[in-house]
Amino acid sequence: MAQATVLIDGNNFYASCEAALDPAVIGKPLVVLSNNDGCIVSRSAEARAMGIPMGTPWFQVRHDLERRGVVVRSSNYGLYADMSQRLMASLEAWVEELEVYSIDEAFGRLHRPPGDGDLTTWGQELRRQVRRQLGLPVAVGIAPTKVLAKIANRIAKRDPSHGGVFDLGQAGDPGPWLEAIAIEDVWGIGRKLSRWCRLRGIANARALRDMPSGELRHRCGVVGVRLQQELRGHSCLPLVAVPPAKQETCVSRSFSEPVTSLEGLRQAIATYLSRAGEKLRRQGQRAGSVTVFVRSSPFNGTRFYANAATVALPLPSNDTAVLLAAALPLAERLFRPHKPLQKAGVLLQDLQPVELLQHHLLVPLPPEQQRRREALMAAVDGLNRRYGSGTVQWAACGLRPRWTMRRSRLSRAATTRLSDVPVVRA
Amino acid sequence: MPDPRHPDPRHPDQHHPDPDPGVDLNTQLNLHPERTLLLRVCGDSMVGAGIRHGDLLVVDRGITPRSGRIVVALLEGGFTLKRLVRRGPRWWLEAANPAYPPLALGGSDDDRLWGVALHVIRSLPGGRWPRPQS
Repeated sequence: MAQATVLIDGNNFYASCEAALDPAVIGKPLVVLSNNDGCIVSRSAEARAMGIPMGTPWFQVRHDLERRGVVVRSSNYGLYADMSQRLMASLEAWVEELEVYSIDEAFGRLHRPPGDGDLTTWGQELRRQVRRQLGLPVAVGIAPTKVLAKIANRIAKRDPSHGGVFDLGQAGDPGPWLEAIAIEDVWGIGRKLSRWCRLRGIANARALRDMPSGELRHRCGVVGVRLQQELRGHSCLPLVAVPPAKQETCVSRSFSEPVTSLEGLRQAIATYLSRAGEKLRRQGQRAGSVTVFVRSSPFNGTRFYANAATVALPLPSNDTAVLLAAALPLAERLFRPHKPLQKAGVLLQDLQPVELLQHHLLVPLPPEQQRRREALMAAVDGLNRRYGSGTVQWAACGLRPRWTMRRSRLSRAATTRLSDVPVVRA
Repeated sequence: MPDPRHPDPRHPDQHHPDPDPGVDLNTQLNLHPERTLLLRVCGDSMVGAGIRHGDLLVVDRGITPRSGRIVVALLEGGFTLKRLVRRGPRWWLEAANPAYPPLALGGSDDDRLWGVALHVIRSLPGGRWPRPQS
């Protein structure tokens, strides 16, 4: 029996998560803002229908949105991550194999049912159940391969007559469908490659599928040929079940107001390093080097300033105190008195699994002391997980800093913090 | 190293491969973490069913609501807790407190049934920390 590849993704995922836990905004126009309440990054179907464009800076439309009764929310990443996990856990039951591709989309593989092999009804039932159990609307694209599943998903979402589900494998000759997909919208085609295709008169997915393979192989090697094979319905991209170990960890934010003091920059770096250290420990990794980067605002009139500095650790570590001791001195090197900074970040690289060092002869501290340090880190992480991020922090991070990210319209941690769970009237 | 006191809710059994795994509440209470939510009860309309103001409610969104079950319904832009009851051809949301009148459900009100309440958690003095903000 033929195998099918499906792509399931959440519609307007962030906006949908907000409505899933808050009955007061169900059916209302709602937009979600990016970090620092910058731009509109997600719109509910109602907001979309009102013609509110994606990517608009909030300050430009703020009064207009208020007047029109649009609900505005800051990005609540904790909520979206938790809803994403719930979504992916639910999807596991529907397919034989699942690849979580991003926060709101996953590829799946399953066998087509005997008989007509149609999976449309299956997709509709999946959609209905996910909507009912999680409150999230999803679209389902079904096809023989990943590249075609992406296209099927796009068709399912764009054309309301399909009801959110489209099976490209059952649609007869997929040619006409592929012809309607612009070359730029084919999964895996970058900007350069699409320009190359356009110059050759290859403007859509069908033309790409039907062009001579030799030419494609000559231009972009086996990657291009694989893509073409996928368009022809021959599956060559396997599902990646386990995400590869992370090679680097980055924490960076824009400041709500420009940082103009060395102390402010040190606090920001310390805060990001604490977060990054926590990430490392959760991933069971140690970092071999720390990079700090800063930049000024490109718009504030002074000359643009961007800089970065890296320090290698004598021994890989995930101990926040060690990371702080190594990286805080970099602040002095990067800070310029007359350059107000708009953004800073830390990048931990040269990551390796914790187990690697346990058998190392050059342990950084005597074993007993090392164990106590690890216990301290575990206790700090535990407290921050249980009572909210920032409950326990290093003094270097500062108290009530002025530069923290602006999230004036943040919804509650309705699914991840006991004190924030929704209220039910009885 | 996974902490056995905080089992990964997605894999309730993975840390306990032995035949006597101890009590895992997710398994024992038949919870499906991906579709289960906690809600805080506010009000006294369900005291007759043993649900008091301030209780924590475990709600499963994947269970089909049937007559007699205590359900969370969407009402006036908020969550409402009532007992779902069928009397003849009609469905009602009924309080467990004579002070509150029952509420008739229309034919197209299926979407208003949001989830089914399965458990009540009530903490005794000293049992809850940190204390809720008053």
